[in-house]
Order: sequence, then structure tokens, then C-alpha cells
Amino acid sequence: MSSYFSVFRMRWKMELQYRGAVIGGVICQIFFGLILICLYRALYAGKPQTMPLDSVVTYVWLQQAFFRMLLSSDSELTDKIRTGAIAYDLCRPLHLYGYYYARIMAQKLLGSLLRAAPMLVFACLLPRGYGISAPVSVPAFLCAVLSLMSGLLCVCALENLTMGFTMRTLDARGMQALMNLLMMTLSGNVLPLTLFPDSWQRVITLLPYAQLLDSPIRLYTGRYAWTQASQIIFLQAVWLVILIALGLLLWRANQKRLVVQGG
Amino acid sequence: MAYIEANGLTKIFTVRKKREKGHLMREKQQITALDNVSFRVEEGELVGYIGPNGAGKSTTVKLLSGILTPSAGTACVNGLVPWENRKQHVRDIGVVFGQRSQLWWDVPIADSFALLRDIYRIPLSSYTRRLEELTDALQLESLLRTPLRQLSLGQRMRAELCGSLLHNPKLLFLDEPTIGLDAVSKLALRDFLRHENKENGTTILLTTHDMEDIAALCSRVMVLGHGKKLFDGALNDLLARYDTSRIVFVRYDGIVTLPSLPEQCTLEQDGDGYRIVYEPAQVPTSVLLSSLQAAGPIRELTAQAQSIDHLIAKMYREMDL
Amino acid sequence: MNTIKLYLHSMRMLLKSQLQYPASFIMQTLAQLVMEGGEFMAVILIVDRFDKLNQWMPGDLFFFFGIMSVTFYLTECFGRGVTGAFPGMVRTGQLDTLLIRPRGVLTQVLCSAIDPRRISCIAVGTAALVIGCQRSAVQWSLLKVLLLGESILCGTFLILGLFMIEAVFCIYSVKSVELVNALTYGGRSACEYPIDIFPRPLRFVFTVIAPFALVMHVPAAYILGKPLFGWPVWAAITTPAAGLVTFAVMYAVFCRAMRHYRSTGS
Repeated sequence: MSSYFSVFRMRWKMELQYRGAVIGGVICQIFFGLILICLYRALYAGKPQTMPLDSVVTYVWLQQAFFRMLLSSDSELTDKIRTGAIAYDLCRPLHLYGYYYARIMAQKLLGSLLRAAPMLVFACLLPRGYGISAPVSVPAFLCAVLSLMSGLLCVCALENLTMGFTMRTLDARGMQALMNLLMMTLSGNVLPLTLFPDSWQRVITLLPYAQLLDSPIRLYTGRYAWTQASQIIFLQAVWLVILIALGLLLWRANQKRLVVQGG
Repeated sequence: MAYIEANGLTKIFTVRKKREKGHLMREKQQITALDNVSFRVEEGELVGYIGPNGAGKSTTVKLLSGILTPSAGTACVNGLVPWENRKQHVRDIGVVFGQRSQLWWDVPIADSFALLRDIYRIPLSSYTRRLEELTDALQLESLLRTPLRQLSLGQRMRAELCGSLLHNPKLLFLDEPTIGLDAVSKLALRDFLRHENKENGTTILLTTHDMEDIAALCSRVMVLGHGKKLFDGALNDLLARYDTSRIVFVRYDGIVTLPSLPEQCTLEQDGDGYRIVYEPAQVPTSVLLSSLQAAGPIRELTAQAQSIDHLIAKMYREMDL
Repeated sequence: MNTIKLYLHSMRMLLKSQLQYPASFIMQTLAQLVMEGGEFMAVILIVDRFDKLNQWMPGDLFFFFGIMSVTFYLTECFGRGVTGAFPGMVRTGQLDTLLIRPRGVLTQVLCSAIDPRRISCIAVGTAALVIGCQRSAVQWSLLKVLLLGESILCGTFLILGLFMIEAVFCIYSVKSVELVNALTYGGRSACEYPIDIFPRPLRFVFTVIAPFALVMHVPAAYILGKPLFGWPVWAAITTPAAGLVTFAVMYAVFCRAMRHYRSTGS
């Protein structure tokens, strides 16, 4: 168990080492957020929607703040797979799936917390109509945090599954580009899911991608009543079980194959 | 005027240190990679350039090939200042970095050469002639259609050499060209360099850690340490200074008691014989021999000098590098 | 002339080496197609929900998207050396091998990389342009065709120039490339939409600092028959030159920076 915690500790040290990159990244992300908000303001000026503008603005800020949770960018891991250095990890007395799950989680959680904090502070200071609005109620806020956490568990399982596929194809770039793209689009980063056609939303919100950020944000802005939270968390739990089961199966198969290849 | 003239070349790098706790700004640190180095090289010379890691050898090569600009000092190669007339200067030089390729990884080397022809604007007739000459000397004909990535290290180094000599440079910089090569490739490479130097009169500046390269090729050697030039002259003169001790291996018939030797000798067991290191200047060889004979009947005795690597290591130690 | 020949020769060779790995190439090209397709879909969905953006009709928005997409990915395809490969060349010392050749550094950097996968992005952009033209019923004339060509050409120079900021940072080993991304990728995302929908500070950024608006929006608006801010035709002809100016300025800065280049490694 302690080895999983040390993964978190190492990640935290690494993130702190690249403070310069974090500051640059935050400024860049804020800039992207401002651009999107200006765009939606202009669009709303022409034709207001049932979803209030403030909710869209809040949606954008939360998406930008937790942007790091979406991208799979552990190049060290993919390099390891490509060069075969992953063989070292096979020799360690660790459960591989669990070890990489912890790694992915550490990267997503710590990387985004460090960035989200200053960005959300900034977004609070902006004038009304540009800045983030407060959650609709305290219970809604708590439910949002809870579903963000279980959404994170889901997405880590999803990414670990992709990592398993990467181990099969060896060349990770195509696969990863595709996964990143699905993630960006279907989690609402490119365009808030709330602005997708209503009929599409019914399907997209059921997919695991929407669990990470879209569901928590909807709870936060009151688009979903907090009394619905149990349903959302149930859906997330179902996905979590499915994804982890698939991931475990795939990794076990891979491990057998790697052992065979190693001779 | 000499072909290369360097006067007081100095290069200082400013490195930003890691920020320490309590300090708001990062401190800057100045590292002198090259400290007031001067030398001259005549046309057609083959000069070896040695020194421990981090001595400033690569910095010198980079300055003379126009990649870097010095912090102080001047240099003139064939009448041009490398970092001011870069384009004109590099037309007449070739550089081989032992650990860095200048050819294209995934295409046949002939295609790489053709692109180099365009880059150097070599007329077709002289290009064809030169390519034939080089592929002959470097035995590359059969490899021309092979992509670089499929070549062995030795073949790759030959291809690199060919690439940097296509435009018939008057000056060739070699930065550790024999690193990682097997004995056969090494010998072939040395033969080729000697030939290129003799027949085409190419001036060659060779940086290496392999002392055998220097011994086999260079009449003149420069030693660099901590950015300063420490020696410049014939290799034999350099070695003579440090080549003061001899090693003797001796084996006796049957088991004998340990021979008693003069104090200044060191003695150690070596297999079923003994290994003795001594300095003839302090202990005359005849004295050593008679004390060895006193211990019993000698079956076998060999004497030899220290290897060049040992001498250089000793030199580095004494120069405090 | 010789430089162009060298560039074409290099491109031919790089293409050849990329096609050595066809499976990976096809996979990545497809990924790019889906990526840019996704961006385009976002615009289509926005149009579907909001009908229009200020005075800009759906066709106009597709046109703006298309011109940015084509320009940006043409630059990334043929200027890969500057837009993607340069930091690695500094880090690994590959730049040294360029400096020992009798050609300009920038020429050689441009000659050292190509990204043919972007062809699928360019295709999406072209499709957006065509659809935009049809839906907005653009009245084509020779002038407008030339204007479109001018805009795209100057746009590639503008984007190259902006990426050269990153290159200069690399030479001085400054690590804040994310800030430059705000101008380059941020510029792409913002200026997929016409400049006049943005508030004044953003307009300033994309007109004066990274003049996407001058290079693309002014001529594009003229082509669509709705001149931006009512500017006359000669404005549409002259403003794209801002891209060339940006490039020229950055080229001068780049050359100065190269003098401070400190080659790493032994």
C-alpha cells in the first residue's frame, strides 16, 4: 500500500519542481477561458438559451480549471512501453494495474489541483458575467465534489484501459491522439455538453467521458438537482466496475504476452 | 600566416543555479569552459586534442566551426573569423561529431549525400568524382542504398565521414570518431584519415579519449584541462615526461621466499610470479636484477613500459585535473 | 531559387522517410482528421443552436473557420521545423549539425521537418471553406481569389513568426513555452471566429500583437461581401502584409538570438 502512496509523493515533488511551467500553463488556460467566454457572450447576445449565460460561464471556468484531468500526458509511461523498459516494472513486487492506476490518478489529481486553485481564485475575482458563480446550494456543492471524485476514478480506469491497448500496438501516438480527442469533445471541453443538441445530450451524458467533469458541473450549477446525485453516482459506479474489470482482464492478458515475448 | 590562429580564446557560460530556500532570485554562476587558449595549426597538420571530460575540447571545436561565439579572444581560420563569416567559413570545413549524426535516419545514405550536394552547392561532375573516390576508400559502394538506421556503428561512422568530406573541405574536425568502434573498424578508419591527410592535404583536428588514435595518427598533440592549454608538442615529448617507470614480471623455478627489493620498488604477487614497478632513475636496473636473482633461479622475466592510458592518467593526476 | 530547390528536395526526402512506417502514418492521419473534424463539428453545433453570431450567418462562420484551419495546418505541415521540431533540435544538439553547413539556419530548420499527417486537417478546412462559400453565396471575382491566396500565404508567415517566439525562448533556454501557446494555439481558437465579436482588449491582442484579424478577417470579410468595420477594398488588400511584418521582426530577433546560442552536450 505504501508504494502507491509514494507514487503520489513523487508526483507532488515533480509538479513543484516545474512551477514555472505550471504558472505559464495557468495563464494560458485562463486566456483560453476568457476567449471562450467572450464567444459565448456574443452568441447569447444574439439568441438567449434556456440555460442561463452564467451557467455556461461557470461551466467554462470549471472545465479550464480541471483541464489537466482530461489529457493523458504521461509521456514517461508511453515511452516506457515503446522502449520496452516496462520490463523493469514487471519485475517489481507490485500489482501492475494498481500501480499504473495510482500513477495516472496522482498525475491527474495533483496536476490539476495545483492549477485549479489559482485559476478558480482568478475566476472568482472577475466581474459578473465573466467570472464563475457560486454553487446553487451547499448540498449541491458537496454532491458536485463527491461526483467529481468518483468521476475521476472512472476516468483513471478508462485511461488505464487505453494504456493496456497501447501496450499491444506499441506505437502509442495514433491511439493516444484519438483518445485525447474523444475525451476533449465528449467531456465538454471543446463545447459545453449543455450546448449540444438535446437529443445528443441524452446519449452523451451516459458515456464515461461525461462522468468526469460534465456531471459534477451540472450538479454545481444546479442543472441537475442535488437530490439526483445518487443516480449520477450510481451511474459512475457502474462505469467504474465495468472499466476496471475490462482493464484488469486486458492487463492480465498483456502480462502473459510480455512474459512470453521476454522468453 | 598559419591556417588556424587562435589567440586568447575564452568562453564563459552563465548557468542559473537552482533556487535555494530563502532566496527570491536564482543565483547565477559563471563557468569558464575555455580560458585564454592560444595556438596555431599549419595547413596539412594532423593534430590530436586531448583532455579529460569537461576540459573544453568540444567548446574549442564549436568555436572554430562557428557554432559558438567566444566571450573573448580571436580566432582566424584560413583568414576568416568563424563566428562572423559562418556561411563562408563552413564551406571549407567538415565536422564529424562522434555521437551525433548529420545524415538522415530513415533514407538510404545515397539520398542523404544527394541532399548534402544541394546544401553545399557542389557541381555534379566534381560531386560524382568525389563520391566515387570516397566510397572506394571507405568501402561504402554496397551500402549506398541502405537506410542509415540499418547500418552498424562502424558503417555509420564511415558514412558520416563520407558525408562530411563530400564538399572537399580543407579542414576536418573529428570529435571522438572512434567511440564504440570495434578493432577492425578503428584500424580502417585510422588508415583512411592518414590517407586523406597525406593525399589531399586536409588539415585534421582530432578530439579523442583513445590514446591509440593519437599515437597512430598525430605527430602533434595538445592537452587541455580546466579550459587551459597545458601542453602543445610532439606526443613523444609529452610521454617522455611521464614515462619514468617500468614494469617487470618475474617467475621463479619452484617456490622461493619473497625477494627483498630496494625500498622504492613496489612488488605484488601476480599469478605464480611477481610484478614489480620501479623507476630506473631511482633504482638502476642492474641493482634490481641482482636482488631478484639473489632470491632464486629465475625461469622467465619480461619488462615493459606503462601503457599510454596509464601515462595520461598519471599526467592528469599530476596536473591536478 | 536554389533555396527553393533545396527545400523541395528536403521535403521529398522527409516524406519518403515518413512513409517508411505506413501503418503508424495512416493511424495518425486519421486521428488528425477526427480531431479537426471535431473542431468543425463544434462550429456546426454552435450554428445549429444559435443560428448566427452578430451579423455573421452560418456560411460566414464556416468560411472564417475554414480560412484559419487551412492556414494554420498548412503552416504546421510545411513549417514543422519551426512549429514543432525546433525545441528538440536545441535540446539534442541537432542544431549544431545545421550550423556547420553553409546555409541559413532558418532555411535548414524549415528543411528538416515536415508533418504530412496534417493533410487531413487541411482537407477539413478546405471543406469548411467550400461549404461556407456556398451557403453565403460568395460572388467570386479574380480579385477575391487573389485576396484569399494572399491571406493564406501571409497567414502562414504570421504563424511561423509567432512560433519563432518559442524558438527564441528555447535558444535562451527559457522554459515558459505555455505563454507562447496562448498566442499561437489561443490565436487559432479565438480567430476561428471573426474579430468583431470580441471585446476591446482581445481585439487589441489579435490585431496588434498577433495580427490574425488583419491577415485573415479583413480580407475574409471583404470576400464575404460584409467588409469589417466598413473598411474599403484597399484595406483588405494591404492589411495581410501585417503577417509578413511579424515574420520579418521575428526573423531579426531570431538571428540576434542565434548569436547567444549555447550548444549543449559534448
